[in-house]
Amino acid sequence: MSAIEFKKLTKSYGKSRGIIDVNFKVEEGDIFGFIGPNGAGKSTAIRTLLGLIHPTSGSATIFGKSCIEHPQVKKDVGYLPSEVFYYDHMRVIDLLNYSASFYKKDCKKRIRELAEIMDLDLKKKIDDLSFGNRKKVGIVQGLLHDPKLIILDEPTSGLDPLMQQKFFELIRDENKKGATIFFSSHILGEVQRMCNRVALIKEGRIIKLEKMSDLRENNYKRIRIETPAAIDRSFFEMPGVSKLELKDHMVNFLFRGDINTVIRKISQTNIANLLIEEPDLEEIFLHYYEKEGETV
Amino acid sequence: MNMYLHELKSMRRSTLIWICAMIALAAIYFSVYRGIVSDAAGFKRLLGGYPEPVRAALGISVDSITSLLGFYSMIFSFITLCAAIQAMNLGTSVLSKEVRERTADFLLVKPVSRSAVVSAKLLAAFTMIMATDVIYYLAVSLMASMVKTSDYSGRIFFLINLTLFFIQLIFLAIGVAVSVFFAKLKSVIPVSLGVVFGLYMIGAIIAAGKDNAAARFISPFKYFDMTYIIKHTGYEPSYLIAGAGIVIAAIAISYIIYVKKDIHAVN
Amino acid sequence: MNIFLRELKANRKALIIWSVCMFLLVLSGMSKYTAYSSSGQNNALFNSMPHSLKALLGFGSFDVTTMSGYFAMLFLYIELTVAIHAVLLGAGIVAKEERDKTTEFLIVKPLSRTAVITAKLFAALVEVFVLNIVTLVSSIFMVDAYNKGADISGEIVRFMVSMFIVQLIFLSLGAALAAFIKNPKASGSLSAGVLLASFVVSKITDLTDRLNMLNLLSPFKYFSYKDLVEGGGLSAGIIIPAILLVAVLSALTYFFYRKRDLNV
Repeated sequence: MSAIEFKKLTKSYGKSRGIIDVNFKVEEGDIFGFIGPNGAGKSTAIRTLLGLIHPTSGSATIFGKSCIEHPQVKKDVGYLPSEVFYYDHMRVIDLLNYSASFYKKDCKKRIRELAEIMDLDLKKKIDDLSFGNRKKVGIVQGLLHDPKLIILDEPTSGLDPLMQQKFFELIRDENKKGATIFFSSHILGEVQRMCNRVALIKEGRIIKLEKMSDLRENNYKRIRIETPAAIDRSFFEMPGVSKLELKDHMVNFLFRGDINTVIRKISQTNIANLLIEEPDLEEIFLHYYEKEGETV
Repeated sequence: MNMYLHELKSMRRSTLIWICAMIALAAIYFSVYRGIVSDAAGFKRLLGGYPEPVRAALGISVDSITSLLGFYSMIFSFITLCAAIQAMNLGTSVLSKEVRERTADFLLVKPVSRSAVVSAKLLAAFTMIMATDVIYYLAVSLMASMVKTSDYSGRIFFLINLTLFFIQLIFLAIGVAVSVFFAKLKSVIPVSLGVVFGLYMIGAIIAAGKDNAAARFISPFKYFDMTYIIKHTGYEPSYLIAGAGIVIAAIAISYIIYVKKDIHAVN
Repeated sequence: MNIFLRELKANRKALIIWSVCMFLLVLSGMSKYTAYSSSGQNNALFNSMPHSLKALLGFGSFDVTTMSGYFAMLFLYIELTVAIHAVLLGAGIVAKEERDKTTEFLIVKPLSRTAVITAKLFAALVEVFVLNIVTLVSSIFMVDAYNKGADISGEIVRFMVSMFIVQLIFLSLGAALAAFIKNPKASGSLSAGVLLASFVVSKITDLTDRLNMLNLLSPFKYFSYKDLVEGGGLSAGIIIPAILLVAVLSALTYFFYRKRDLNV
């Protein structure tokens, strides 16, 4: 059974766009990235999944069940919202205990462990915490009941790099223990580091759904060449080459297709240096967006 | 149960303040009661010089308003006003505060249904109202027995105070319904004060005087006529039913809307 | 100027609702006048009744069979309404930046806190004034429609002048409270509490002469409406201290707001 399944999910807000016909699955044990620019509909999809908002049509289910009809399924879900707000006048530990009281199990030990990892003072009042520390409360709060599915909405904003590191380790550990991770972000680096599979969303529609490895490979290579003398642009204009840039003695392009053809081409000229690397997700991502933009 | 206890805890302080305020108000009124009784005695002596019909008409009303029950039922309307504001505030804030304070993302992703959330919160608010009314009743009973100049019917006194509970229930229910109906309540005070004082004034202005049986239905403050209660040791069934109808309808609407409502992201 | 306009715009809808409610209040109040005017009473006896008994019987100190007496009774409710408006407006206009988390936006702009408060208070002043004028116009109009006796427009104007001062007191009170207390969410409840208390105090002191000192706590009791009904003017001995009170409360608003640690 899939941990998450979106079936033709559409949510419209009057005239303005929400999400349209979102269709994909997240398998159990996966770390799944959900990327798109701000306002693309990531939060809308997640909030529908959690039953905070109701679908206009289609469905979003967790372990085969809708959160609206079967609230009990949420006992296996941990959620970290992008911005965390908690009850005033409560100490951190009071809030965490209150949160734990919803899941009929003893979470005391786990709370202490997590608080130690995240370096969180349990005795402080929530009102006095900084944004970053509130975020930590959110993380502990989302993980304290050992959820089988962890949903993270822009999780790293407000955390310093060291904490981000700890946080990702924590998430990986949870994943190793069997938890499925669903992770929305507009920061591609973190998705690249973490995820096995990704869905790209743009203007409310899923435009690409792929394994991270496929997405990255997909036969795209970033090729950088340094030449002793200036070289004519037309030399590299061949099928499979895109984003060709020439500057001084540097040539820079993306290549997709049989790598041999481009190697042969390069060998026809005198070069000073050659670098072939995996393009980062950002480049591919922008590439997709631009391509989609052209067809629209 | 955990939600219920959490809500109780968060309401504790304001409820305590309201209880104290209402008891203090009653205490101030009771403290002037003896003085009024002696004013009335003087006035009745003065009445002696007037013709019999005038004496009969005014004498009776003077007697009835200066009896402890008569006096209490007059001042009771201000107590009711406070109680209504308390209940309305409680009602408008109990559900809407999760959205306003942006904690809905916390609560509503827990493995509980929305209707369980509503039930726990309503039950907590109901408990607070009960507590308010019981403590208030005990306090005023004590005060009344201290200042009384002659005996009064404890049963009627209880019936009068029980209306406080009914009024609070009605305003609690109205408050809850209003809060789910207007999704974006930034601040509950203007709304709750507006509704309570609005209905209070309607009660005082439109529904006052005679031949107003229909107009009285508009303002819950007029559902319980003290003169009627004192005379008949009971309530007027039609208004009691109207009150119950409002409570049931408002609560049903609240459940229905709240369960279907979209909880949007903070912005 | 931009803050001033922004505030006016933000509160426009609320002001319209308040104005409509006020009109309806005056309308419904006056429509009951006929019921009162026809009832008639034994006036000599009525006047000899002790103050407290009249209050208990629900007549207050006015002769509600005359138009001016009836209007004075209605006026108490009108005044209560505008007082609620003013105190909530005063508290809201100061507290709302923090409540709605827009403080950072506003306070990093190149202007002083004093300028911010001045603009906000002026906007509130305009709104309070508009509500007052709406009340004045609807009262004169509605009273005229029902009045069979002498014209009381002059009295109504005096009533409204006194009401304006009461509005200013509550407005500055709400603003000062909001600037003073730490929690922006609590300012509305607190100022409403103060208002309710002063209303209740005015009702308690109706009942007995023994607690007249308490009237100091209730702006509803600062002006003697009985004198107004009987054709007296507004006494400078009351207007001047009342204006001073407004000035002190406004100064406190500035003072507290400047010293305030703004929550983000």
